Amino acid sequence: MKTWILILGIIYVGLLVTASLRSYKKGRSVEDFMLAGSNIGIILGVLTYAAALFSTFTFLGMPDFFRRHGIGAWIFLAVSDGAMVFFILWFGYHIRNKVKQLGFRGVAGMISNCYGNRWAGYTIFLTAFLFLIPYVGIQIQGIAIFMGAAFPNFIPSWGWAVSIVVVMLIYSEIGGLKAIVYSDAIQGVLLLTVLWIIGYNCLSEFGGIAAMFDKIEVDHVALLSTPGPEGLFTPQFFIASMIAIVMIPVTQPQLTTRLVVMKSMKSMHLMAVAVGAFAILVITPTIFIGMYGASFLKDSLDGMSVAQQAGSFFEEVFLYRQPGFVAALALVGLIAAGLSTTNAQIFALGSELRGLLNMDENKVMRITKIGIFIFAVIALAFSEVIKDQIALLARVSFAGTALMGPMILLGILSDRKVPTFIIWASFAGLMIFLLSLGGVIANRVIGVRLDLFLFLCLSLVAILSYLLGKKELQLAR
Amino acid sequence: MNDKNRKYWRILRTVAIVLCILVFTPLIIPEGVYKPELLGIPYSLWTSFLITVALVVITYLGTRVHRSNEEEEVEP
Repeated sequence: MKTWILILGIIYVGLLVTASLRSYKKGRSVEDFMLAGSNIGIILGVLTYAAALFSTFTFLGMPDFFRRHGIGAWIFLAVSDGAMVFFILWFGYHIRNKVKQLGFRGVAGMISNCYGNRWAGYTIFLTAFLFLIPYVGIQIQGIAIFMGAAFPNFIPSWGWAVSIVVVMLIYSEIGGLKAIVYSDAIQGVLLLTVLWIIGYNCLSEFGGIAAMFDKIEVDHVALLSTPGPEGLFTPQFFIASMIAIVMIPVTQPQLTTRLVVMKSMKSMHLMAVAVGAFAILVITPTIFIGMYGASFLKDSLDGMSVAQQAGSFFEEVFLYRQPGFVAALALVGLIAAGLSTTNAQIFALGSELRGLLNMDENKVMRITKIGIFIFAVIALAFSEVIKDQIALLARVSFAGTALMGPMILLGILSDRKVPTFIIWASFAGLMIFLLSLGGVIANRVIGVRLDLFLFLCLSLVAILSYLLGKKELQLAR
Repeated sequence: MNDKNRKYWRILRTVAIVLCILVFTPLIIPEGVYKPELLGIPYSLWTSFLITVALVVITYLGTRVHRSNEEEEVEP
């Protein structure tokens, strides 16, 4: 396997270097560096959006989610993604029009302009920072752990983590967003290929789809229906998850940016359809992998902690029980997935920071690059301390950033001056959600999940703000 | 968007919302029930799979009637 890792690793690094150099332009503008010249075509658009969306979370998280919680994981992600791509048609149109009016220097900067209030931008930036950094951290940690498994006693896990961050910083510094888009494209293809090869191998062990579910019926019948063995998949969980996922293009800046940098409205629309098809293609094999773990690894994983089970499951299914070439491809695919998502998120944070700066462009570019470096270092530090389940952490990340959805949507859609109360309400919502994550306050209000409750309250505030905005204008007249 | 397309867009939007709401009801996620199966696939999985495919198809149809041809036009 090590020889294959070396060969495939060299090919992957070669592709990254080519992508960086191809993207490098002497004397490029800040727009070229941060927004790839806003000229991304449909194929690159699909792959970069899909790679930023799926990544390590799909690679590691979804098979484990199917293994532990059963078939409801499909509704959690695939149905929600289906709703999200439909939402992109509508939202993409409005945000691109707004960008045409106001320009685009990150979501935070644009929403500050919409409200004429910098605190709107600060709140969005703070939310993105708080919820993206831990998510980035756990992806770096995931890669480091599996590199450690493939090369035991070679270098410590933090050494792998540092290497990943250094590579990421170098190629994003050379190529900017364009290089990240190219690396996303490589990752998108790798992700799909690896998941289908391993998914097919897992399915073959059962002897087919019907045989797979027949065996699961005997081994762990609760996986075949909702709410699943641990009772996770309740209607409320699905509703809150769907809202959080549908809000991703609005509230996760790395994905909003990808809607904005598409060459045209038409290519963005077609990109949405293709991302929906990609979602079905990429999530389907994770069912087979998850069910394989639930059935063939049931006994060997018993007695381990949840985190140990996830690690051991991945090592067994992706590395030890595959032919050398496939295992090496899986490892390189995992590195690619982690690198591109990490890069997209860190770069988006840099882009958001840029939107909040108001000074000479050269200085802005310098500060943004320093910001990207600092965010990467903080994510690296987090990767050493966070131990959590990646799928649930991703969901928390989506839910946390979704709280900004009503404020962002109101800012983009409103054609009138609205009161700024929504900004303070969103900030308060963020603080309450953080307190619940810290266990300081309950995570349910009158039986409703707190994230769902907060989102509904903020949506109500946004509607009221809109109506009050109308009143103010009428009074002014 | 002309009147015809506007009407189609409204219909697609309604269908998408209805499909999403259906997913949260016992019609798609009956508690602890996995039959009837389709080609051996448990009930909630095949029904939600079909809904996902339907959402993607609706999205495609949406691209035909939504304002993609009005290149970046700002509506008042």
